[in-house]
Amino acid sequence: MSELTFAKIDQTVLDTLKPPDRSYWLTVGILFAGALAGAGCWIYQILNGIGVAGMNNPVAWGTYLINFVFWVGIAHSGTLISAILHLLRAGWRNPIARAAETMTVFAVCIAGLFPFIHLGRVWLVFYMLPIPNQRNLWQNFQSPLMFDVVAISTYLTVSSLFWYTGMLPDLAVVRDRATGIRKKIFTVISLGWTGAHEQWRHYARGYLFFAALATPLVISVHSVVSWDFALAVVPGWHTTIFAPYFVAGAIHSGLAMVLTLMIPIRKLFHYEKIITLEVLESVAKTIIFTGLIVGFAYATEFFMAWYSQNPVEMAIFKYRPTGDYALGFWIMVVCNTIIPLLFFFKRIRTTIFWLFGISIFVNIGMWYERFVIIISSVSRDFIPHAWGLYSPTIIEFGIMLGAFCLFFFFFLLFVKHLPSVSMTEMKETVDQGAGHGD
Amino acid sequence: MGTEYRVMGLFTDENRAVSAIEAIKDSPWSLRRVHSPVPSHKISDALDLKKSKIGYFTLAGGITGFFAGFLLAVFTASQWHLIVSGKPIIALVPFFIVGFEFTILFAIFGNVVGLIHQMQLPEFTGLEEYDPRCSGEHFGILAACKADELERLKAFFQNRGGEINIFSKKQEHQ
Repeated sequence: MSELTFAKIDQTVLDTLKPPDRSYWLTVGILFAGALAGAGCWIYQILNGIGVAGMNNPVAWGTYLINFVFWVGIAHSGTLISAILHLLRAGWRNPIARAAETMTVFAVCIAGLFPFIHLGRVWLVFYMLPIPNQRNLWQNFQSPLMFDVVAISTYLTVSSLFWYTGMLPDLAVVRDRATGIRKKIFTVISLGWTGAHEQWRHYARGYLFFAALATPLVISVHSVVSWDFALAVVPGWHTTIFAPYFVAGAIHSGLAMVLTLMIPIRKLFHYEKIITLEVLESVAKTIIFTGLIVGFAYATEFFMAWYSQNPVEMAIFKYRPTGDYALGFWIMVVCNTIIPLLFFFKRIRTTIFWLFGISIFVNIGMWYERFVIIISSVSRDFIPHAWGLYSPTIIEFGIMLGAFCLFFFFFLLFVKHLPSVSMTEMKETVDQGAGHGD
Repeated sequence: MGTEYRVMGLFTDENRAVSAIEAIKDSPWSLRRVHSPVPSHKISDALDLKKSKIGYFTLAGGITGFFAGFLLAVFTASQWHLIVSGKPIIALVPFFIVGFEFTILFAIFGNVVGLIHQMQLPEFTGLEEYDPRCSGEHFGILAACKADELERLKAFFQNRGGEINIFSKKQEHQ
């Protein structure tokens, strides 16, 4: 990083905003088509009813809620990187903070779609808002699902504002080097930022408060998501470990997604001098840590089931590694806890191929974690004659594909139209070794 | 009527900028603004900037948020006296969670309102006496002087290794 100068940082990042070539628009087009296919599946579901999905008694929560939890989880590491690591003054976060924050905003948007899709009769979504329906019936905030509505809306609002506020000085950099209509647009969205010290004085303080408030928020949001399950008396769900287990898992998956996104961007945009191998290595080391926490949580769940000697708990934890969804369970264990241990080897965590490959495995493993938690528990709860299996239908796969395409579509648009690396924070790293310091 | 000139000295070195600020404070010229591409403690110290009061906005937002969230939950529950899972109608623990989320939400709203209010954004007139290099790698010091001091002020910046940018002169009322 020592070779970097302020001018080089600006140039490298501004180069990424040059008009893209045809292959970019082709990829954007393909992703958009994928998103449209997902939208088509959703419309089909709205017209024909929720029965077109594979959910039925006893498994009423299927891929829609798996994807909801998965995307909320992906969102979390963005806040970890931008807020928690900011408070801890971890300088290696600066090159990837912007992309991670952006990932958070888009992932929460995607996550927020799934409860709507899962509702079936989406036009009744206003039942979740604090406005009375035709019978003057208000919602009851004793339900964890209502906590979730509040938590996710807060998270989306806060992470969007955090993202935009953090980008303000960079938008001014683009404005100062742009011409024509682009200059006008960036003049408006940079709000007239000039980097005057009267502005920095308030900005640095405000940014610190953003980080300080986003930190407890991010922990509360995934805790609330975990209580959607833990506050039910379903075996395998009703456990106090769920909140920390979900938060750790969320950060684990999010960090993996950061690698999945940053490695191609680093290559395509020639960010090698900004997003150095040391930065990626630091992410890999954090993945080892979160992977170990997740592994510990898996083991604790089994231990508690045995230690409680509760027959229903013991049965569900015997069912998970040996029953109908055993493949999913073992994918989860291997991908989330065993494979990330390869990062203990310096050669592996400093090789792009392995970093990227392992990040994909962790993403897959974390999706399966949610599958195992949600499906296996409800498919076999207390009464054997009510047991049943679940498999997603083509409509559910279509919506899932659409969600992934929509996420990458948004991200691809972002990296070509807004600064994907925080120039200001990179300059601070070069200058002082800190970020938006107060 | 006198004529006031605004001259911006542009430095690539933070320490030189700080030394120029210190020197201007003891000169007949007036220091208008200092721009920089990154926040700088050295410059803040040289300008004797006080701590921002943003925190009061954030605190006010947070307190308002807690009561708003908690009371919203109390209000909706009290509309239908329906006992759920044997819990009281006004259940403190679950409503505290709603209060917590609203605390964060409103504290952030307070923070944003504070930022907008204190930084006085959006504000586009500041761009009239602004050099785009200040968002790149230059520290810009904007100073004002009378017409007869203009050459001295220019020389002051140049002798300290800075580049200069002179903005259109302003009419000063007497």
